[in-house]
Amino acid sequence: MPEKSLKGETMKVDEIMTKKLEIISADASIYDAIERMIDKRIRSLLVKPKDEHDVYGVITVRDIVYKALGGNLDLNKTKVAEIMSKPLVCVDKGMDVEHAINLMTKFNITRVFISEGKEILGIISLLDFMSAALIKRAREGHGA
Amino acid sequence: MLKKVFGGNIEQKVIDSIKKHMQILYSASECFKKGLQEWDKDQMHCVADLEREGDSVRREIISMIYEGAFLPYLRTNICRFVEIVDEAFDVLKDTAYEFENLEPMDEDIREDCIQIADINQQMCDMLIIAFDALFNKGDLREKTLAIRIYEKKVDDMKFDLIGKLRNKEVKNFWEGRTLSDSISYLTHISDVIEDASDYLHIINLSMR
Repeated sequence: MPEKSLKGETMKVDEIMTKKLEIISADASIYDAIERMIDKRIRSLLVKPKDEHDVYGVITVRDIVYKALGGNLDLNKTKVAEIMSKPLVCVDKGMDVEHAINLMTKFNITRVFISEGKEILGIISLLDFMSAALIKRAREGHGA
Repeated sequence: MLKKVFGGNIEQKVIDSIKKHMQILYSASECFKKGLQEWDKDQMHCVADLEREGDSVRREIISMIYEGAFLPYLRTNICRFVEIVDEAFDVLKDTAYEFENLEPMDEDIREDCIQIADINQQMCDMLIIAFDALFNKGDLREKTLAIRIYEKKVDDMKFDLIGKLRNKEVKNFWEGRTLSDSISYLTHISDVIEDASDYLHIINLSMR
């Protein structure tokens, strides 16, 4: 039968995360990032660390619209590294969903990454939270 | 009204049989997922066995309905619902057959297939919950929304999976055809379950 968490217990972040992560190099152009987001129908890309001392970053549609398009930057010449956000806001695998939502509220962000040590395992967006909450509600019979 | 529509003995028998039909579908999808996880093709034979069991339950249901269960104007819609659930069985059986004939898959493709099989299984469970809601005065709307959310997830994964398959080299026509068909069938199950949940909505409307 379905996972325990969907039957009323606390949901964990790794149960609702999306494992599909698209990675782009920090040296890629913003145009490359836009193309990738459109092709894959996603709103953010994980930016690879440049070397072992570096950390992962993220570039989102919001960065592209506000910083690149709004700032009239040359999309072909400007690199992802120039507008990406770093470091990532991450939560450990196994953390409660409520903790992740609190973090998103605190930092006013729409997605958090799920990590295990240095490895990034997945991502949760607002839509993932909403979908999981609605499925949980349907299983529990709330609102019936 | 619900008591009047579902209250009789024969009606209750039909409802119990429809639940049994859906529970067999749940077991078949669970069995398929397990076969995929363990890459045990012999285990997938259980899908065909359960499909045959489902077929016989479907025949019983249709007979009971036309022997006089439910008001005549409801019979067609209930029969159609049962037939759509049966279609999900057929697609699942075709999926299992294609997977039995597949060469070992790339790990990332297999992981995606397992995830889709898991969502299909959860959709079967949600369909049972939605059916219960139909005559237990539950909120059918929120159950069918959950089914649509699941279906959307499978849809998103489907395009990603097709993209991966396009880059995969195949040895001959039949290997490519089997791989393509197995993914098409696997991702079609969720569409059929969504159609079944839409029919629950139609039955709900026709009872008002």
